[in-house]
Amino acid sequence: VLHTTRALHTAQQRLAPLPPLPEKGGEVRYGLIPEEFFQFLYPKTGVTGPYMLGTGLLLYFLSKEIYVINHETVAAACILSVIIYGIKKYGSDVAAFADKLNEEKVAKALSVKNEAIKDLETAIEQEKKEQWRVEGCKYLFDSKRNNVAMLLETNYRERLLTVYNEVKKRLDYQVAMQNLKRQKEQDHMIQWVERNVAQSITPQQQKESIAKCILDLKALSKTAQAAV
Amino acid sequence: MNLSFFDQFTSPYLLGIPLILLSVLFPTLLFPTPNNRWVTNRLSTLQLWLLNLITKQLMIPLSKKGHKWALILTSLMILLLTINLLGLLPYMFTPTTQLSMNMALAFPLWLATLLTGLRNQPTTSLGHLLPEGTPTPLIPALIMIETASLLIRSLALGVRLTANLTAGHLLIQLIST
Repeated sequence: VLHTTRALHTAQQRLAPLPPLPEKGGEVRYGLIPEEFFQFLYPKTGVTGPYMLGTGLLLYFLSKEIYVINHETVAAACILSVIIYGIKKYGSDVAAFADKLNEEKVAKALSVKNEAIKDLETAIEQEKKEQWRVEGCKYLFDSKRNNVAMLLETNYRERLLTVYNEVKKRLDYQVAMQNLKRQKEQDHMIQWVERNVAQSITPQQQKESIAKCILDLKALSKTAQAAV
Repeated sequence: MNLSFFDQFTSPYLLGIPLILLSVLFPTLLFPTPNNRWVTNRLSTLQLWLLNLITKQLMIPLSKKGHKWALILTSLMILLLTINLLGLLPYMFTPTTQLSMNMALAFPLWLATLLTGLRNQPTTSLGHLLPEGTPTPLIPALIMIETASLLIRSLALGVRLTANLTAGHLLIQLIST
């Protein structure tokens, strides 16, 4: 189990941070025998060394009947070929599946982080908008203030008008009273004068005036006849 | 040496050294222990995926209290699965064909469930001895029968696994020839 890698207990064991996983696993030849074995034998025996060793071992086991050929051997050969065929065919698919599982795990964690970042960014934008709105409030307050001032002004003028009208009404009343009084006095005086004049006309005066009128009329009628 | 069909069930010996322990522990070598990385290599990822699948299947129907059985049941299942499947390959020995191993697995587990049931809910566990709706005259006989079946259960579990595996592997060998 490789939690940490240190070569043969030479250095201190360091548990964190873990060293990254190597990109590829150990190189194997024929899926079973690591490359290091071939490299180990290369200086002494060259390229064909391990193959000769393998063949020799196999023939030795077979000839000395250490490895017996029986029905299991045939079964082993068939099963081995089926396993190798299956691995060759579906190996990459299984590897892709494992990679997909890892990718999903990492993507889930990343998505949490990204969503948190996005939420914070939208919060920042909304905050900026709120600040802009607050700036715009100044104009709003100015216009509202103007509005209120105008309303007050209008109201004041209206009230002024009402006061003026009321005062005018009262003064008109007074003027009308005076006029009425003078009119009444005038009428009364005229009536009194007429009454006194009518009373002062004695019967004697009446006869004299009527006779004079008749004389005047005669004279006028003479002149008038002449005109016609 | 002539092999009969039953030679696959003999306990393996190499030069007089019993290899039974090795053959029981060998399947555990195939599963790498999970290390404390978050993103692991492909084998560990697949193994963890399989373990999660099996554990979910086992534990979803249970209540929260039953989840403490998760570890032992999942590991038992994976062990038996691996041992039995590996025994199908040639030159492999299946330890579960030996009655000794199966009894060693069955008896403690059965006893554990029995004692846990008796300790936590004694009346309910004893009440299980009597099926519902039995007519009154049958009650004594039925209790005897249920007790006997309870005691036999460990033997039944062990023998069942042994017999199934032996018969199965033997049958496969017979069919393949």
